[in-house]
Amino acid sequence: MTATTPPPAAGGGRPVVRPRPAVPATARGVGGAVLLVGTRVGLWLGVQLGLAGLLILVGAAATGGQALGEVAGWWMVYVGLVDLGTLGVIFWLLRRDGGSYRDLLGPPTTAWQVAVGALGVLAASVPAVVFSAELTSALYGDGAIAPMFAIVDLPPWASVVSVVVVPLLAELAEPVAFLGLILPRLERRLGRPWLAATIVVLVWAGEHALYPLLVSGGGLDWEFAAYRVGSVLPFLAAWTAAWYALGRRLLPVMAARWVFNAGTALALALGLVQ
Amino acid sequence: MHDRILYRLTWLALVMSLGHHLDHLIRGNAVGWPVTEEVNAFTASLVVYPIIATGLVLYHAGRVGPGFWALVSGGGAVFVGAVHFGPAAVEPPELILDHYDPPILGWLAFGWLVVFVTVLAITCLYETRLWASQRRARHATRPVDAEVGR
Repeated sequence: MTATTPPPAAGGGRPVVRPRPAVPATARGVGGAVLLVGTRVGLWLGVQLGLAGLLILVGAAATGGQALGEVAGWWMVYVGLVDLGTLGVIFWLLRRDGGSYRDLLGPPTTAWQVAVGALGVLAASVPAVVFSAELTSALYGDGAIAPMFAIVDLPPWASVVSVVVVPLLAELAEPVAFLGLILPRLERRLGRPWLAATIVVLVWAGEHALYPLLVSGGGLDWEFAAYRVGSVLPFLAAWTAAWYALGRRLLPVMAARWVFNAGTALALALGLVQ
Repeated sequence: MHDRILYRLTWLALVMSLGHHLDHLIRGNAVGWPVTEEVNAFTASLVVYPIIATGLVLYHAGRVGPGFWALVSGGGAVFVGAVHFGPAAVEPPELILDHYDPPILGWLAFGWLVVFVTVLAITCLYETRLWASQRRARHATRPVDAEVGR
């Protein structure tokens, strides 16, 4: 018996019954994770359908398909709205369940650890880049640009937002939500880190099917949705594995992703992707 | 002290490497000595097996640590990545994708290669972190050792 073990209760040696919280901590944890994923899915669909509806209402688009096509060209900007919503839910969960945003980023990480770790994460992403490029070539022809980049059509001010603001918001929200918040809660619930990581990677990849929503032949372009999931899957698997390898330090992963995403947005804004 | 995760990652990388060499043998379009007369990147890559075997023995004996493994994994990732994905790749992805019938087998072999290089890179990250933390721990205990020795 340790010094902190409570003494047996008087009267028949019955164990002390401690008051239970209204909701078990683990259940509340997974509930929060589901809420976060649900919010993101709802926001992806809500933002795109809402904007498309708005375009039809003001007469800027004649059909739903045309409106969705117009909205899709702005996906690198409206991503920011979804990430703002995600950040809102993260902070709400932190206030409800306790803890700080810093806690979600993992153990303390020095600047050089972030730099070296980010370089390692970028190196580990190279196979994913090659796989994604090969998949694009196989589905859309040699030298083709990935459809989600080919459709981007932004005025200069929006391009600046997509390069400066959106990638930063994405790093503050997306990896923090999936790796910092959802994965640890799922690990606690399932007790098997590999299973929790697999589920998170699949859900995270599946979410990419929802943006941008492309229309083909009068309906949603399901081939593109499947391509989007397949092309992003190795990146997410590599980043999740890197998060484990770095002792659950999120900052190097965030830094590498920021370089990657901001670099892509900059290349698109400068017309370097043809 | 031996790290169990390091062992597991090393064995995983070894299995992935064997699988990739098997893919070379099945395709038969990028093989060298001892399968053919030519000495090429395939031949050079076989050196990894004695390195891993020696490394496992030395690691078990405490003669090498995670720093050694970080160099092996990192070197392997760079070598395999350069041979298959680099700008001057001698065996680009098309050599794998276009040499299987049905094509899905080519994607399977290519996916295996992608996972293999990623495993090597992630393993290198893990071993580097382990190496750094062991060095920090050694530095932290050194003054105490000196104190005891006095």
